[in-house]
Amino acid sequence: MNILSRIRRLPLTVRVPMTVAILMVAVSGLISERVLDRLSKTQEVYLQRLASAYLDGVVASVTPSVLREDSWEVFDGIERMKPSADDILPLETVVTGKNQIVLASSDPMARETLRSLDPEFIGAFNGTGVRIDANTRSGYVRRDITYQNQLIGAVYAVFDVSSLLRERRQILVTLLATNTVFTAFLGFIGFVTVRRMIRPMQVLETHMIDAAAGSSTLIADSEFPVANKEAVSVYRAYNALVRSEMERQVLARQLAEEEKLASLGRLASGMAHEINNPLGGLMNAVDTLRLHGERRTVRESSIELIQRGLHGIREVVEAALATYRPERLTRPLADQDFADLRLLVRPELRRKQQRLDYQIDGTIDAEPRWPAGPIRQATLNLLLNAAAATPEGGRVGLQVMVTRKELDIAISDQGSGMPDSARSILSDRTNKQVPRDGSGLGLWIVREIAGDLGAAITVSRETGSDTVVRLSVPRTISEVSKVA
Amino acid sequence: MSGSPPLDAVDRTWSRRSAMRLAGGAAFCAFSAGPARAQAKDTIRFGLTPVFLTNDLELLNSLQAYLAHETGYEIELITRRTYQEVTALLVSGQLDAAWICGYPFVHYRDDLELVAVPDWNGKPLYQSYLIVGADREATSLEELSGDIHAFSDPDSNSGYLVTRTLLYEQALDPEIFFRKTMFTYGHRNVIRAVASGLAQSGSVDGYVWEVMREIEPDLVERTRPLRKSEWLGFPPIATSKVLSHSPRIEALTKALLSMAEKPEGERVLSMLRLTGFESADPSIFDGIAVKVALLRGVL
Repeated sequence: MNILSRIRRLPLTVRVPMTVAILMVAVSGLISERVLDRLSKTQEVYLQRLASAYLDGVVASVTPSVLREDSWEVFDGIERMKPSADDILPLETVVTGKNQIVLASSDPMARETLRSLDPEFIGAFNGTGVRIDANTRSGYVRRDITYQNQLIGAVYAVFDVSSLLRERRQILVTLLATNTVFTAFLGFIGFVTVRRMIRPMQVLETHMIDAAAGSSTLIADSEFPVANKEAVSVYRAYNALVRSEMERQVLARQLAEEEKLASLGRLASGMAHEINNPLGGLMNAVDTLRLHGERRTVRESSIELIQRGLHGIREVVEAALATYRPERLTRPLADQDFADLRLLVRPELRRKQQRLDYQIDGTIDAEPRWPAGPIRQATLNLLLNAAAATPEGGRVGLQVMVTRKELDIAISDQGSGMPDSARSILSDRTNKQVPRDGSGLGLWIVREIAGDLGAAITVSRETGSDTVVRLSVPRTISEVSKVA
Repeated sequence: MSGSPPLDAVDRTWSRRSAMRLAGGAAFCAFSAGPARAQAKDTIRFGLTPVFLTNDLELLNSLQAYLAHETGYEIELITRRTYQEVTALLVSGQLDAAWICGYPFVHYRDDLELVAVPDWNGKPLYQSYLIVGADREATSLEELSGDIHAFSDPDSNSGYLVTRTLLYEQALDPEIFFRKTMFTYGHRNVIRAVASGLAQSGSVDGYVWEVMREIEPDLVERTRPLRKSEWLGFPPIATSKVLSHSPRIEALTKALLSMAEKPEGERVLSMLRLTGFESADPSIFDGIAVKVALLRGVL
């Protein structure tokens, strides 16, 4: 199982030639087995014929001597019948009379004359056919000697079949060598062919992997395979997909920009209101100065009033500038940023007669991983979202906690709970889809910022009916790793 | 050397091997090709023997050429498988002369006459050897009890009679003393039987055994003589008494006796490992005659 899964993980350029090679080995093994089996049968037939010819000669030569039980004549007959020119020579020939008594053998030292033939030796013979024993490299064959339909004896012959076994081995070696060369050759051809065939797919794969990593690029015309129409078609489809995605991203950026402008508009009207309030007092103070400026107490209280009004206006203007001036976005986050945010959402809160519960635990140090711009943007979006969700006269919470590991920003509202669609936009990082109708764009921007910062977003319902969105921005990766 | 060559029809090719089988035949076996056919006046029906030499055909051709040249007669050669057949042809007059064994010569002494006797190492004498396997430790005849024993021919002196007499003298019956006896019809065959282990002991012509030791050492050295008999008369060339004074036999006798003096004859003798032929006295066969007399009524 483990091996199978490992094989499955191998690249196609290896798997296909390997499959071809395995099939070739299987086919060649089958063919080799058939050839050797056929050869084995042919050799046995050959040996059978050769042995039959030999035994016929021996039987014809010794039959009269067997009848007379003349050991010398039997021995002389065996000696005279011994062939010398064939590859397959009889190693031993034994002629027995009745009751398996040895009349003579080619080697009387081994088979003593006029003694019973060794039962073990007789056991090596199998009927009248040839029995080949690869261990002893011998072929065993026997023939009955009959005279006038009476069994008068038998001839046992043992042949040296080394040459037959050698031939088998040579053929086996030849088959193996040939098949090995063929298999290796076909495997190589398969490897090259498959590699050529799937090269376009590899190009596509590379582009798709890049696209999945967030940097999709078009397949260049130079990479288009000229002859492979299927690949060209797929490449074109892919490029069309990439173009579509690029357009979507552009659109998303435009939408984000519009959303930013929209929120800016809301802020601007709030800011105008903020500026307008002191402006009425300022105008009154100016009128008072004009009418009663000569009076010192009036003049001083009017100037004091004008100064406070102008100071308030400056705070509002600076907060706006800090949020929307790009050159300030990359500096590290500071406590002042949260003060600015409070200022920025105040008009919206005031409009809905809401109250902001602000709390900060710990001191925000200059952490490079906490850029002011994106965190301000994300927090502002979440605060505006909370303000929108919270009914009039309600309460919006902003709780900042600085720990050794992370910056934890929790925004709570008293709304009826975050809908699933909005929750999905916040928490599902795999969903790269830009909200089509612009709703939820602010939350989408929050999620993109969180993604860039490596921050986690959790949505929960906590104390009472409050909904809490928690943005946890880690410090540097190495520190986080140590903690983990 | 005893008896006629045990050449059978199968071995007519006269290969070296088949000729070696004839080595037991100590007689120049002359015989007729067929029964009682009319004999041409200028032909000697002669058996040439057994040869243990490298080229049998060469020996036969040389001997035939020598005898033909020396006698002025045509020479006709044929063989039979057993000594008995050759002896019967000779006694019946169907052969002019034959190289037979001393045993049949003694047996048919009244019908046969000596032509010449071969000299081996200068003497017309040889021995019978009782042989066993080279590795066997036996030292006496008694230890051969229970053997399969190979004899050469029932009409052979060295290949049968000597051992048979020895057993008789010790009151032993060969059919009981030995587990089995066999006749191989050739002294070379006796050596083969013992060397291969087919038989555990054998009775063989000492001349054949010694000469074959030179020619086929690999075979003969697998055997060793356990006992050598006394010196006995070498297998002679004999003729029937009727023909003994005929011009053909006289010419043949002269040719044989002068063989050592002629280059062609010397060549034949060297092939046979003999030193010549002599006109020996029949008394050299007295030793065999004693054995025959001893076994008379037994065989």
